[in-house]
Amino acid sequence: MNSLILKNVTKRFGDVVAVSDISFKARQGRILGLLGPNGAGKTTIIRIVTSILNQDSGDVRLHGRSVGLWSQEQIGYLPEERGLYKKLKVNDQLQYFAELKGVHRKESKDLIKYWLDRLGLGEWGERKAQDLSKGMQQKIQFIATILSDPRVIILDEPFSGLDPVNAELLSDIIAHFKQEGRIILFASHRMEQVEKVCDDICLIAKGQLILSGDLIEVKRLFPRNKLALEYAGNLPFLDSMEKRGEIQILERYEGGCLLGINQPCKPKELLNQLLKLEDFDLYRFDLLQPSLNEIFIRMVGENI
Amino acid sequence: MRRKSLLIIRSEFMRRVTSKTFIVTTLLGPVLFVGFIIAIGVISLTSIEDDLFEDQIHRIAIIDQTGVLSDLVLSHYIGAHSLIIEDHETALNEMFNGGLDAYILIPEEVLFGNGDPVLYSKEGNFYGIQLAMQSVIDKSLKDYLLSEENVPDHVRSILNRSVFLDLIQLGEDQQEPIYEGEDVEFGYVMFGVILGMMMYIGIMIYGTLILYGVIEERSTRVVEIIVSSVRPFDLLMGKVLGIGLVGFVQIATWMVMIIGGMVLTSLVMAGFIDPMMYGIEVANETQEILSSINMFLPNVTPWMILCFILFFIGGYLLYGALFAAVGSLVDSPQESQTLLIPVMMPLIVSVTFLSSILLNPNSHLAIGLSLFPLTSPAPMMVRLALGAVPTWQILLSLGLLVASIFGSIWVSARIYKATVLTYDNKVSLKTIFGYLRGV
Repeated sequence: MNSLILKNVTKRFGDVVAVSDISFKARQGRILGLLGPNGAGKTTIIRIVTSILNQDSGDVRLHGRSVGLWSQEQIGYLPEERGLYKKLKVNDQLQYFAELKGVHRKESKDLIKYWLDRLGLGEWGERKAQDLSKGMQQKIQFIATILSDPRVIILDEPFSGLDPVNAELLSDIIAHFKQEGRIILFASHRMEQVEKVCDDICLIAKGQLILSGDLIEVKRLFPRNKLALEYAGNLPFLDSMEKRGEIQILERYEGGCLLGINQPCKPKELLNQLLKLEDFDLYRFDLLQPSLNEIFIRMVGENI
Repeated sequence: MRRKSLLIIRSEFMRRVTSKTFIVTTLLGPVLFVGFIIAIGVISLTSIEDDLFEDQIHRIAIIDQTGVLSDLVLSHYIGAHSLIIEDHETALNEMFNGGLDAYILIPEEVLFGNGDPVLYSKEGNFYGIQLAMQSVIDKSLKDYLLSEENVPDHVRSILNRSVFLDLIQLGEDQQEPIYEGEDVEFGYVMFGVILGMMMYIGIMIYGTLILYGVIEERSTRVVEIIVSSVRPFDLLMGKVLGIGLVGFVQIATWMVMIIGGMVLTSLVMAGFIDPMMYGIEVANETQEILSSINMFLPNVTPWMILCFILFFIGGYLLYGALFAAVGSLVDSPQESQTLLIPVMMPLIVSVTFLSSILLNPNSHLAIGLSLFPLTSPAPMMVRLALGAVPTWQILLSLGLLVASIFGSIWVSARIYKATVLTYDNKVSLKTIFGYLRGV
């Protein structure tokens, strides 16, 4: 029951189908990565989940109940294109956003102080938003998202514009929310971040669901087609293998190389061959999993 | 009303009334307004009289070909310009040598009812002098001709007598005058113009605040955060009502300050006036004392205040919602200008016709404009100030206004909902009808 479920959701704008028959499930205590190229339909899906838009067909259920005005107070949403009232004091805008999410005025003051201190902005509450740096404003927007202690947190490119230290700080807070059992949706183009943060992924292109599921399971669906070698000595047969099309030498460096494995090549046989070589010491033979970026390009490239 | 709408109203209201701009404009508004009116008065007086500055005193020659009028002209003239008697040739030379600014040629025929005097100048912008000298020469000519005919003094006083048409407006009981006085009509006209213009300016100022508020929320992208917490309709209404409240507070403050200031000034002035000097009794009311020296204290009835409030709220809501819709269709204030023209046109038309409504407040045009909801607020206030509106017309106008407000909010809410989160909107009648159909 404690989940967010989209079932056969479709949304059209005039003749354009923005989202077509999308279904997925976001579970509590897990982070779901929503991936897709520009115009894939990610923002439309998020706007349907947050009840900003209504779907034409299908159902979106939070904790077993169709979303609507009731669920808006349960969801904290950090949009990709976000901003603040430039001339309003930080405390005042955070209080306004919190009250709109149903937090009582008195309670919100303590919460604002707590979060400003935690994100190193304790001194900035009485300043206007226009006096803050872009990074500081990003953190204020993040606080606005989580201030009402929402059960569902939707973050669209949360790390954009943040330096590594602050990105790490936010990442820790997100991990903490995950441990607390919240449902977290994480929309991004940054594959390395998604890979690092997400437990499940949902890949969307042209409004359609291309791939979804547990990140580890999804990765298993794709063959390990890269090999990292580290060694001492000579490797006499690599060039001839490349000429035969069995491998591609992607990178060669002192004491190692990175190879792309093609269909005819069998890694086990290659390992046996290497072990039999004389004056050759093998330190690393690592059959690498494809990165999410590679999966993304392969899948979306095929579908665009 | 929904709790979140109230939150938005409070936020919109507090954000604006606590700003320095609001406090300064609210306090300085009436001062600037009164200063503006005084400045216009002073400027127009000086431009006609031309007697405030030394460099504006002109040397003007009189060339009297009648041989009998020049002395009378000099004795009747009381202005600050310097008049001298010259012959035609000298005056012409002097003017081109810089010794004279202008000369007036009075031909002999004027004594026989033919021809007119002519003012010659090099620069040509002597309108004030032309008017003043025309009446002086006219008076001199009449005096001369009447003397020639040996007209006795009592006949002259009959010829000089003028009649003023006084106005007395009777109350409902047909007995008690609501107000009477020599200059009451001018006072009512001024009051009507002030009320009508306040209505127009108020709708424009606060409508524009809504427009800019919507554009700001869209351009800063704050709007997406807000509509994930409230319905776009609640945001629209919260914004319109919150800013409306700001306008209401500001205008109410201004009215209190202006009326308070006028009453205070009047009382102070009344204290300096000796009623005996003007032939009225000492026991007279302040208003009567003031009217004797042509000072007007507006006769503001509670009914008029109520009507002003109702028409202001009505006009503001009607236009405020439309301004919000325009704001949601554009990405910057510059882009809004083209779209605002058709929206504001009825409002501009209503103000354009205010002067003809003042002259004839019961004409078909005046009645039509004060009933049609998109134009009614300003013309209706002018007619109300002139005291010429039957109650049924006020009620019909209000009814039509209320019905139109619902229509305007419905239209705006549809457009706002469809466009508040989209950017680079292509605006055409087709797309707008599409938004209204919910496509």
